[in-house]
Amino acid sequence: MEVDSDVPMRDAVDEPLDPTLDEDARAFPAVSEGETSGIADHKSNKPLELTKGSIGQLDKWIEHLGKCQILSEEDVSSLCKMAVDVLQFEENVQPVSVPVTICGDVHGQFHDLIELFKIGGPCPDTNYLFMGDYVDRGYYSVETVSYLVAMKVRYPKRITILRGNHESRQITQVYGFYDECLRKYGSANVWKMFTDLFDYFPITALVDNKIFCLHGGLSPMIETVDQVRELNRIQEVPHEGPMCDLLWSDPDDRGGWGISPRGAGFTFGQDISEQFNHTNDLSLIARAHQLVMEGYAWSHQQSVVTIFSAPNYCYRCGNQAAIMEVDENHNRQFLQYEPSMRPGEPTVSRKTPDYFL
Amino acid sequence: MSGEKDGSEKKIKAGQGSAGSGDLYPLALLMDELKHDDIANRVEAMKKLDTIALALGPQRTRDELVPFLTEVSQDDEDEVFAVLAEQLGKFVPFIGGSKFATLLLPALEILASTEETLVRDRAVESLNNIAQELSEEQLFHDFIPLIEHLATAEWFSSKVSSCGLFKSVLARAKDDKFRKELLALYLQLVQDDTPMVRRAAAKNLPTLIDLLTQNPDLSTAEDWDYISNMFQKIVADGQDSVKFLAVEILISILKFFNKKKDTTHSRDLLHSSIQLISDEAWRVRYMAADRFDALAEEFSSNPKFMEELVGPFLSLCEDNESDVRKAAAKQIPRFSELLGDSQVIVKSMLPTIQNLSMDESEAVRASLASEVTNLAPLLPKKEAVDSLIPILLNMLKDEFPEVRLNIIAKLKVVNDVVGIDPLSESLLPAITELAKDVNWRVRMAIIDYIPLLAEQLGVEFFDKQLGDLCLSWLWDTVYSIRMAAVANLKKLTETFGSDWSRDEIIARLLKSDSQLLENFVYRITLLMALTDLVPVVSPKVVTEKILPFIDHLATDGVANIRFNVAKSYAVVVKSLSKDPTKFSDLINNSIIPNLKKLSQDSDVDVRYYAEQSIEECKSYLA
Repeated sequence: MEVDSDVPMRDAVDEPLDPTLDEDARAFPAVSEGETSGIADHKSNKPLELTKGSIGQLDKWIEHLGKCQILSEEDVSSLCKMAVDVLQFEENVQPVSVPVTICGDVHGQFHDLIELFKIGGPCPDTNYLFMGDYVDRGYYSVETVSYLVAMKVRYPKRITILRGNHESRQITQVYGFYDECLRKYGSANVWKMFTDLFDYFPITALVDNKIFCLHGGLSPMIETVDQVRELNRIQEVPHEGPMCDLLWSDPDDRGGWGISPRGAGFTFGQDISEQFNHTNDLSLIARAHQLVMEGYAWSHQQSVVTIFSAPNYCYRCGNQAAIMEVDENHNRQFLQYEPSMRPGEPTVSRKTPDYFL
Repeated sequence: MSGEKDGSEKKIKAGQGSAGSGDLYPLALLMDELKHDDIANRVEAMKKLDTIALALGPQRTRDELVPFLTEVSQDDEDEVFAVLAEQLGKFVPFIGGSKFATLLLPALEILASTEETLVRDRAVESLNNIAQELSEEQLFHDFIPLIEHLATAEWFSSKVSSCGLFKSVLARAKDDKFRKELLALYLQLVQDDTPMVRRAAAKNLPTLIDLLTQNPDLSTAEDWDYISNMFQKIVADGQDSVKFLAVEILISILKFFNKKKDTTHSRDLLHSSIQLISDEAWRVRYMAADRFDALAEEFSSNPKFMEELVGPFLSLCEDNESDVRKAAAKQIPRFSELLGDSQVIVKSMLPTIQNLSMDESEAVRASLASEVTNLAPLLPKKEAVDSLIPILLNMLKDEFPEVRLNIIAKLKVVNDVVGIDPLSESLLPAITELAKDVNWRVRMAIIDYIPLLAEQLGVEFFDKQLGDLCLSWLWDTVYSIRMAAVANLKKLTETFGSDWSRDEIIARLLKSDSQLLENFVYRITLLMALTDLVPVVSPKVVTEKILPFIDHLATDGVANIRFNVAKSYAVVVKSLSKDPTKFSDLINNSIIPNLKKLSQDSDVDVRYYAEQSIEECKSYLA
């Protein structure tokens, strides 16, 4: 399994928008059909209303997860069932109001997610919008996605979690989440629950009707935001079509639509972004999906911004991470940060490797 | 269960035994697990070994389980061995007490010979635990032969393990001849062909010497010939990684002779110390520098010797290797204290400190900074002001933040000697610089020192110089800094009092720039800052200054502000309810109605926190 081939070894300064291109959508492994986790077997017909008991339960889980400890399989099952009853009622284009802090890929780097909250403030005091890719690659995908989902259920109005291309059965079997679940729980049940839940995640968000947020980018089959609203999103991420494109596409320096080297989605030029923003009366498209060395990067003359929130991606890329604060007057501020400090690390300037001792 | 009966070599009769086979069913399951194909299952089962033993009873544990485990110890994976090695150390009670303890030795001997270090270390620890419980006869009959066996084995791993076992027997060998034999055996290990064995021997030697120090009348001159011989061999070892352990050994030897008040070898030992300090291998010199305080302490009764150590010590401070200088820099105040002669300190140490404070390595400067202020009380006041303070002032301007932080963190001792005045002029720019550092954790560190500084500097200095800075941190872009700033204001209020806080903090906060407050981040920060002050200011300040501001935010457009208002009300009521007669009107006619309004809010979280606060308020008023 080739896990690391996407770590960009090209000079990042020359190419600030260095795509993580290896995720080859053409080489999807076969998904074992049939059995589901059962988390969506008894869906409610109205949004989840929290009781005193469920709030207490959620607060306990959040505290536990905050220490980077996994929940039991039974607790994950209850959490996912509650989450289905929150997420199924969200829209394909989930409306989000300002102020909000917009974040990009996290990829299982749990300690850096905690660092993110130290920089941006804890939820619920700060409102958050995450644009997908919570799992794979990092060592703590289970903790990361459990934590964010628990937050979502506890504070549905304070945090929005969109779907990324990694929130998929097929991709997670290749890039780590499946193996991590197997390792941490001894079976694939938890992986099944979460991947079943991912089908319910909203795919885009609209911040105060002005900032269109999504994981990947635009689709040649989507001209208006309303067209996104008409999609049926409750399914595995398809190999092609508008829903796939929204989670896979990348902006490009070349104009018009281009074939994506990723094998899924498209590349789109400045003309496309400007047209889309104009048609839909938007000020900005905010997206994630690509490693950027400064943590954020503008493209298409500030029509599009890429935000990436996993510092030192894959523990080796040396990139900064960033989040974007949008205040109630639509002022934007980017906060950049480095990987979290792991306490107790030695500070010896020249450590002799142990094998000499 | 039936599969277990046939064919299995590891014969365990659990679950099919005569009496009470039903009771032993879970036990049989565990036994099965110990033979499971999956290693994770075997490890888990191994961890429950005590349960099995308890259920079997001492007799069957001895007759069946221990032989079985001895077999396991020869044929399984390291993960299983590691657990087994640990478990066996706690097994004596399960086999019927110490008189059967030697039954456990064969398995542990095998485990102590494995190649995996973790397994070996645990086996050695368990063997030492068991040795505590052995009688003298068992010790001589079983344990010492085990040590000899390991120490003379072919393979290095057994010999390495044997080095860790001598400590259990050396002090119990009252017979001189026997002890001599043990030391002779140990000397062989010290001279072994493989460096791993020599390293293990050198590493364990201080413990053995310390045992002789604890029993000062036990050892003979002949014993010490052996130890001296060992020390010489280790000092002359070709491997740095063996040789640098000599420093610790030397300290232990010195402790022994100091305890015996025997000074006949002092000169030689001083000579050895100086040789180690000036060794050609930097790691030996590093070790000498790192342990210099312990080494010097052993010579501190002889001023002449101490004087002779000054030169070598200063050379450590000027070493080519930055790690050596870093270790030595930390030792200056302690060594100076042991020297006790302020003239020597002024003459030798101050120039060295001056040099180190400008060292090219930031790690060296930071290391010096972490201890150097402790020199202040050792100097005559004039010298402290004229010579030490200028160095400290320069270090407060160091380009590396950790150097500045380390100085600031330990300013108290300087303040106690010379007062803060000579420092204050440089202190401020240093603090201001740190307060603006791009790394938010540096900003955080300086905020954490502010309450301490405030205490030392006094209110007047503080108001004039630091007040603005403390408020400015509230507007930092990083949430954690803003919250540290909030906590800082609370601590300052605790130090300087409610009136001070009203005039210097609260009044100024309430006059905050309205443009700034258009951003909800700063409104919420202000709300949290004022709420945090509620418990530490007078009720009058709360009702006249803070509460109106909270009320004003109760209708804020941002839900996050409104639910924090709800939380703030509970804090206010908690504080005011200490005087219920005076404030019950205010609480019941203003605060509670406001909370009730919030509990009807359009936002679910505002409603939730308002309800929570109403409940909380009720409990305060009840």
